[in-house]
Amino acid sequence: MLYLSEITGSLDILGKGVMMGFGMIGPGIGVGLIGASFMNAVGRNPEAAKYLGQILVFVAVVELMALLVFASLFIIK
Amino acid sequence: MAYGAFTNFAVEAGPTVHIKPQTLFDINGWPITNSMIFAWICSFIIVVVLIRVARRMTLRPKGGLTQFVEAGSEFISNLLEGALGSKEKALKYGPYFATMFFFIALSNLLGLMPGVGEALVYHDQPFLRAFTADLNATLAISVVSLSLVQYFAIRESGFIKHLRHYFAGKLWNPLTYFVGIYEVFGEFIRLFSLALRLFLNIAIGEIIITVFAYLGKNVAPLTDLPFLILELGVCLLQAYIFVMLSVTYLSLAIKHSDDSHEDKEDVKFDSLTEMAVSSSS
Repeated sequence: MLYLSEITGSLDILGKGVMMGFGMIGPGIGVGLIGASFMNAVGRNPEAAKYLGQILVFVAVVELMALLVFASLFIIK
Repeated sequence: MAYGAFTNFAVEAGPTVHIKPQTLFDINGWPITNSMIFAWICSFIIVVVLIRVARRMTLRPKGGLTQFVEAGSEFISNLLEGALGSKEKALKYGPYFATMFFFIALSNLLGLMPGVGEALVYHDQPFLRAFTADLNATLAISVVSLSLVQYFAIRESGFIKHLRHYFAGKLWNPLTYFVGIYEVFGEFIRLFSLALRLFLNIAIGEIIITVFAYLGKNVAPLTDLPFLILELGVCLLQAYIFVMLSVTYLSLAIKHSDDSHEDKEDVKFDSLTEMAVSSSS
């Protein structure tokens, strides 16, 4: 006979997994959009390739959210 | 076999992850942490190397270390010229940002050296820790950077004008004050995001390297290699991004101060083009 109350374990591991999964969706979409629009711009006008440095700055701005999620793994107890 | 024994020795303890720096000893109640000792070593290297290079500077680069420092400082001054609009301003604000770039890049890169971390131990605490992998350090760097940005902006445009850049608009309108307070709050968000970005990139890079060294067991150098190469890129990129963002904040704070001039120039330009168009047609 299975009693649900006898299942033990820690829910924080599950929570960490859910947090990683959902938290990485947003930054993933963001970095993808930045890369896609950069490639679009370079395709239309190849001289736009010189703005790669500024693209990396925006990638870093979006990346901060992903890093916050990753850092929360070690803060959540 | 000897190779395997070495990696086993390194991996045996399991991955130890530190988010905070550890206190090594006290001097009159002031805690001295391992990241502070690393920072002292870094700043000593920066001072010695940069002064030596500056004395050896010639018109034709001799090669060696000098050319790397020259390339880096020229890169930063070009960046400043692009963001601030003129060579004079780039040379005026260049020294601080170039020093910041070299310091952050050096402390990021030295953090990847063997000996930093768990290898050297002092009273069961790691003796060295990458300076930028410490939130206090990056907060200090960004506080200094953004206070200097405020100081430069006030020196450039005067206190009242700089304040009007936050509280722009008509003074009888209550919305002006709400927007202004929001803008001032945004300045603090910038501060924390600058600090957190640098800290998290470096600290999480270290954690990823540690975790993959642990997962690799006997072939730890092989599993770590891609992440070490990635980290080499990230270290230089983060130094660049930190400087780039603080230069952007500086250029935003300075540009607002002479908006009126730009408008007038635009008007003049427009009327000139109108005249040219009307005369040609």
